[in-house]
Amino acid sequence: MNINTELWQAFVVCVSAAFTQNILLSYFLGVCSFVGCSREVKTAMGLGFAVIFVMTATCALNWLAYYYVLEPLGLYSFRFILFIIIIAAFVQFIEMLIDKYSPVLYQKLGVFLPLITVNCAILGAALFMVIRKYTFIVAIGYGLGSGIGWFLAIIAMAGIRQRLANERIPKGLQGPGITLFIAGIMALAFIGFTGVLQGK
Amino acid sequence: MVEKRWFPVVYMFTATALVSSIVLGLTGFTAQRVKANEKLTFEKAVLSVLPDVYDQSKKISGLELHKIFTEKVSPPDDSSFGAYLFKQNGQIAAYALPIEGQGFWAPIKGIIGILPDKKTITAIAFYEQNETPGLGAEIAKPQFRNQFKGKVIKDGEKPFTIARPDVALDESSVHAITGATQTSTRLEAIAYNDLKNWQEKMK
Amino acid sequence: MSRSSKKSDIGKLASEGLWQNNPIYCQVLGICSTLAVTNLVLNTIVMCVGLVFTTALSSMTVSLLRSFTPRNIRMMVEVLIIAFYVIIIDVLLKAYWPEMSGNLGPYVGLIITNCIVMGRCEACGNSNPPVMAFFDGMFNGLGYSFILLIIATVREILGMGTFLGFGVPYFSTPYWDKWIIMVMPPGAFFMLGLIVWIFRTIALPKESK
Repeated sequence: MNINTELWQAFVVCVSAAFTQNILLSYFLGVCSFVGCSREVKTAMGLGFAVIFVMTATCALNWLAYYYVLEPLGLYSFRFILFIIIIAAFVQFIEMLIDKYSPVLYQKLGVFLPLITVNCAILGAALFMVIRKYTFIVAIGYGLGSGIGWFLAIIAMAGIRQRLANERIPKGLQGPGITLFIAGIMALAFIGFTGVLQGK
Repeated sequence: MVEKRWFPVVYMFTATALVSSIVLGLTGFTAQRVKANEKLTFEKAVLSVLPDVYDQSKKISGLELHKIFTEKVSPPDDSSFGAYLFKQNGQIAAYALPIEGQGFWAPIKGIIGILPDKKTITAIAFYEQNETPGLGAEIAKPQFRNQFKGKVIKDGEKPFTIARPDVALDESSVHAITGATQTSTRLEAIAYNDLKNWQEKMK
Repeated sequence: MSRSSKKSDIGKLASEGLWQNNPIYCQVLGICSTLAVTNLVLNTIVMCVGLVFTTALSSMTVSLLRSFTPRNIRMMVEVLIIAFYVIIIDVLLKAYWPEMSGNLGPYVGLIITNCIVMGRCEACGNSNPPVMAFFDGMFNGLGYSFILLIIATVREILGMGTFLGFGVPYFSTPYWDKWIIMVMPPGAFFMLGLIVWIFRTIALPKESK
């Protein structure tokens, strides 16, 4: 496959991962931090960007690890362990880097990074990328698209919740309850995208 | 010792090595069984699409299933381009074509049974699918599969269609599953690609 | 530790894990798997058994190793232990119960990254003795399970008219127009939101205005 068709495919996969196959609203991955951290747009943006970055980078790293280490050795059953270790190590490494070079950024972002290690979306994206046998460039596109999709969902949710901050919501519904209902409506809306673009 | 700088690395390494060896050991130990299970599921799917090979309503043991498979089904040869052959009295009574492709969550693998006219479908069966239970996974249920009996593969651009549930059907289409748009669309693509390729080659 | 105080400790763990600090409606963890798996009661049961098993054992293992594990790699070690138990379950199911392994297949990854397992390891396994960690993990797992079973029952009956695969009177007849949305993602979100609302209202203490 020449570079042009691969780039085009990566683009298609990226867009479909962000909209029609949104990793949060269609595949239910990464919902815990979505429900927990979407109260304000600022926090949501921080977490969202962090997720985009980690997802794209770990998809790339995991792809390399899978095709250059696991496959030659035939150890497919190891993919869970390997991927999660790579993700955890990468996040740990980034945390150390940020702490060293920008304590300000660390203050703002620091608390999210451990949250990202357990974000099922990151592991999920890596597993899907392997199951669907994407090539390297397409895998990066997929990681980027999934991250953007997650980012869009959490920004939208934070925006809506900020608007609702002054409304009278029943006590039992405040916080996670109303967030889940909003998420349900968003999921309904995203179903409308289904026929638009089909990733591989 | 816990405070030394190299301790975390060694710890991590030992822990990973220990976990990996146990997992590897267990996987190796059960590998044969897993392979046998997979083979049996495949054979069962092939037999279920061939006409009148065995009574599907009766319970049958794995061993018997395997026996029927080895007796009655011949593996693909040069002239069948990947389809398994079911011969009766020296004549080909049916083909069993494996189809495979990407579903919504994971690969979908199935078998389509085709009569010697290379056009009429006898049945479809799936031996591997991991679609959403209650939605995409309904493709493996008799309700969806029974639609395929007697359907015809058309010549030309779109040999087979999986249409919306409210649309009228013709001889080359079946209804999709409500709420399982992604799975249905992908299954249609898989069926149509593999069937089209096979038909071209068999000409 | 005297027998009676141990019993009351366990009792306390039980009431917290199941009711007062329930992982789903209090801690709001483990949501991903809740949404994905509650389509069918059968899959839910398998997932819950897997989760109780994994949480209890992982928490206990983390606790056993807590004095050896260096602080800066503790998350990676926890993750490794969790992945280990989950993969063992997966391998055993694949070999001895293939149909069930097929059902659980896509969710195996979901158990590994399930925030409940990690959350309990961090919160309890790191700083408590193994037996306590085991029971804490077990009760949190059971707290998760009972909520999931409620959701799954409603979703399966309304969405498909069956329970554990068997038809339910009235709901499986053509008179009931199946609520397909219950089987799809939005239905999962709505159902979970409803459950969180109900349980938060009845289980959490009323705060003074």
